[in-house]
Order: sequence, then C-alpha cells, then structure tokens
Amino acid sequence: MIKRLFSLFFGLFLLLLFLTAAIFPGLFTAYGQKEMFAPWLTPEAEHLLGTNALGYDIFTELVYGAKETLFVGVCSSVLTLFLGAAIGTLSGAKGFVGGVFNGLIHIFALLPKLVTLIVLAAFVGSSSWNLILLIAAFGWVGTARAVRARVVHLKVQPFVENCVIQGYSPWHIAVRHIVPNLSDVLLSRFLLGVNSCIMMESTLSFLGFGDLYHPTWGTMMNFAYKRGAFLRQAYHYLLSPGVCIMLLSMAFFFMSLYFERRRTTIQEP
Amino acid sequence: MKKYGKNILLALVCFLFIVALNFFLPRLLPGDPVAYLTGFDEENMSAAQMESYRQALHLDKPVVVQFGYYLRSLADGTLGFSFQKNAAVSSLIGQRLGYTLQITLPAVALSTLLGLIWGLHCGFCKNTLTDRLSTSFLILLNTVPIFLIGLALMLVFCFQNRLLPYAGLNTAGVLPNTPAFYWDRLRHLILPILTLTLATAPSRFLLMRNTAAKISAEKYVLYARQRGLSNHKIKFGYVLKNIAQPFLAMVGMSVSTCVGGSLIIENLFSVNGMGKLLTDAVYTLDYPLMQGILFVTAGIMAISMIGTDLLCILIDPKVRLGEAL
Repeated sequence: MIKRLFSLFFGLFLLLLFLTAAIFPGLFTAYGQKEMFAPWLTPEAEHLLGTNALGYDIFTELVYGAKETLFVGVCSSVLTLFLGAAIGTLSGAKGFVGGVFNGLIHIFALLPKLVTLIVLAAFVGSSSWNLILLIAAFGWVGTARAVRARVVHLKVQPFVENCVIQGYSPWHIAVRHIVPNLSDVLLSRFLLGVNSCIMMESTLSFLGFGDLYHPTWGTMMNFAYKRGAFLRQAYHYLLSPGVCIMLLSMAFFFMSLYFERRRTTIQEP
Repeated sequence: MKKYGKNILLALVCFLFIVALNFFLPRLLPGDPVAYLTGFDEENMSAAQMESYRQALHLDKPVVVQFGYYLRSLADGTLGFSFQKNAAVSSLIGQRLGYTLQITLPAVALSTLLGLIWGLHCGFCKNTLTDRLSTSFLILLNTVPIFLIGLALMLVFCFQNRLLPYAGLNTAGVLPNTPAFYWDRLRHLILPILTLTLATAPSRFLLMRNTAAKISAEKYVLYARQRGLSNHKIKFGYVLKNIAQPFLAMVGMSVSTCVGGSLIIENLFSVNGMGKLLTDAVYTLDYPLMQGILFVTAGIMAISMIGTDLLCILIDPKVRLGEAL
C-alpha cells in the first residue's frame, strides 16, 4: 500500500514540478526567454546550465520548453483518447461495423509509424497543431486495443444482457452503459498515452521536424547537436533536455502504475 | 491456419494502404501536385516548364490512368523519379538501404534474443530478486528517449574515453575489401547497433516476461516440476515452445520499429543510410524520394510480417498436423 502510494506521489511530485514550470516560468528563472548573454558560458551560479550558441540561458530555455512539451503531449493524448475510445467501442460492435473497425486497428498497429509521420509532416507542414493532429491520428491504436478488450469483456456481463432484454437500442447501450464503465481503462491509457505522445513529438523535433516557433525539449536537443555542443564540450546542454523528457515520461509512468495496480487489486480478489 | 492467413492479409492491406496514401497525398492536398511531385517551387517555374512536367508526370490524364502509371512505376522498380537529384528513386535508395540494414538486422536479432532469453528466465522465476531488479531497470530504460541513449553512449565511448569512432561507417583512407576495412566497419557499427538494441530491448523483454509468466502458471509446468525435471529443461522444452508464436509475431513487428529507430540513429551517428536520405529529402522538399522511402519501409514491414507468419505456419504443430489435434 505504501509502495503504491509512493509511486503515485513520486509521479505527482514530478508532474507538479513540470506543471509549475510550464504555468509560472518566472518562479524558476529570473531571465526572459530571449535575453542574450555571452555565448557558450560554462555552468555557474548565475547561469545554472550555462548559455548556448546564441547566448540564451539554457536553464531558462528548459523552463520555457516545459510548456510547449506538455502542451503538445497532453493535447495529442486527449485527442488520442477520444479517437481510441470511439474506435475501440465501435470495434466491439457485432457484424460489419465491428469487423471494419477491428481491421482498422490491426492495420494501424502494423504501419511504420515514425516514417509515415515524418513524410506526412513534410507534406502538411509541421506547425504545433499539425504535429498534434498527426501524432493523435497515428497514436490511438494502444488505447483502442485496451478499450476493445474491455468492451468485449463487458458485453457478456449480465447487466448488458438485461439491457438487451429490455429492448434498448445498441447505440443507447453503448453510450449509456458501456462507455461509463471504461473510465479506469481510459485513465491509465491517458497517462501512458501522454508518455508515448511526448516521446513521438520529441523524436520528431530531435530530427528537426518540429515547430521551430515553439521550441520543445526535442528541438533544444536538435539545436544543441547541430550547433556543435559536442565540440564545445557543453555536454550538459545536450543531455539536460533529454533528462527532462525522461523525468516527465517517468512521472506519467509512475502515476499510471498506481492506477494499474489499483485496478488489478480491485478485480482480482 | 486461418489465423495466420488473416495476419498475412492484414499485412498486405496495410501495404496497399501506404501505396494509396502515397498516390493520393500529393494530389489531394492544397497546392499544385506538380510542385509536390517535382519538389520545385511553383513560382520559380515558367508556364512552359510547368506544362512539360505536367505531361511528364501524366497529371493531365484522368486519375485512374494516373494511378495506373503510378502502379507501373512501382512494378518496374523505379519508384518514381527525383527531379532534384536527377536520378531514379530506387537507385538512390538502393545505394543506402544496405547501410540501414547493417544496423537494423543485427539490432533486431540482438534485442529479440535478449528479450527472449532474459524475459523467459525472468518470467519463469517471477517475483524473485533477479526478476524484480531487471524488470524495474528495463521499465526505467523504457522511459529514456532513444536519442538520449545514443548521446550518452557517444559521450562515454567517444568523447570521454576515445575508444570508438562517433561518425560515419568508414574511416577515410582504408581500402575496401581488406581485413582492416571490415574491422573498421565493425568498430563503427558497434555504437549504433548497441543504441538501437538498448532502445528496443525493454518492450520486447516486458512482453516476453509477461507471456512466460502466464505460461509458467499453467498446470503442465507444475506437473513437469513435480516430475523433477530441471529448470533448464522446463524452460526450453515446455515454456519456450508455447511462447514461440507470440515471439515470432514480435520479431516481425520489431523489424519495422527498428527501421524507424534506425532513422534517428543514422542522423545521430552521421551514417549515410536510408534515414539520412529521408531527412535530406525532407529538408530539400524532395517529395518523390520521401514517398519512395515510405514505400520501401512499408515493403520491409510487409515482408517481415508475412515471413514470420509463414514461419509460424511451419512450426505450429496445430497447423502442421492438421486442425484436429
């Protein structure tokens, strides 16, 4: 029990830290986002992580990057959730409709996601919103699978059978009786979904396909790598955004771990 | 048999989906398809040039005929023409595909083998100290982005201790086809392969561990233990046989994820493979080349999926000995 709560609080603590950085960046850093200093300063008390090639304070960049990273991750994950819940529920339907949506899930699971995303982003342009839509359009498979498994399980429950006997329409049963029972699956999938969406976005940004006007941590790493942080031995510049991505995805993972365990302990005994 | 047949059909449908996407993307998006299919800016072209491209690309014909021409370009293996590089797309990809596969295939083999053996072991002795330690370690590793792993390895092995080279696949000046050349290539390949293996191993491990743990709770495993069979025998004689099918399906899936991962690694380690070609194509807006690469990746995915499904049919006793078993 204590261990379970620990994973929740650890996750919440990390998430709150990043959230405050995203909402009130002024609390963490005294500098503005575009304030210039001498380039390539080494880490010291005034500049916690030094400055980059253009003279921006790296720590400040990190703090402002939290907002963009969280924004893309959470938005695309919410979209993913809606898509996944809808397609997952529909794929649990009988007959032709269920077959079509089930096939759709299988097809999207097989697609080479990263390459498809890169090519599509190149065609439609890579602004933040385009990236969010694209990541959501290819990221719903996991959610849909989990929802489908739950729907298949729920469909044979007595209360659904009762609804069928009472003569409710399948539409009514799905919306009023099955979807409300999906909440715990959706919650844990949402947390894991934010995780994978952030990973996807930072991978795209690291490759240089992100939105340059809203630099996320992935974009920062791309700049660091391209502007010769290796040669300047500014290793902290390269690694710190990556460590932030790792901590953020760990936060969501630990929280999902708590809800996952709660679900299994409720169901098993 | 029916199950595997369905899987093969799904892989083919997915492949066709990519082909259709490739065809319709430049034609449905706002903007002139000529600009998309040549990669040149519309404003920089004269009307006569525009018209000649339009005819060369058959864009003046009905869509069905265009689709026919598109399918023919796929069938004869040119995959379209890159006007920017002035070469057939297939020849451009052909030069680079080898490098990508040199990274991808060893990484697929290593990470799936690691996942299989270690996951089997940990699933078999579930909840022991080894299992808990390795599971939590790999879960943590799963949250690390792939480029961070690559950068960290690069820092440790190339910049702090100058043990391995950090860019390219060859040192300049080493003659091809000599023992020194192969040794040099191997040294260049170590870090990319290691990065890809570390990045893809955790998910494979977790899948295999959970499957093996489920099988180990079966009654026939308990019976085998009661008969006093050694753990080694139970693991490889009983449990392995039962996880072979999900394992093979996973190998098939992992080929395409590894090709995706290889894109990042090629950019990180400056390897001149297909991933580097793709990023170059995106930066120069060389749309035909991008589409060609997407097609080839989908092809690799379809081949690996179909290959592993055929293998499943060959080794599955239920299919081999008839469904009556």
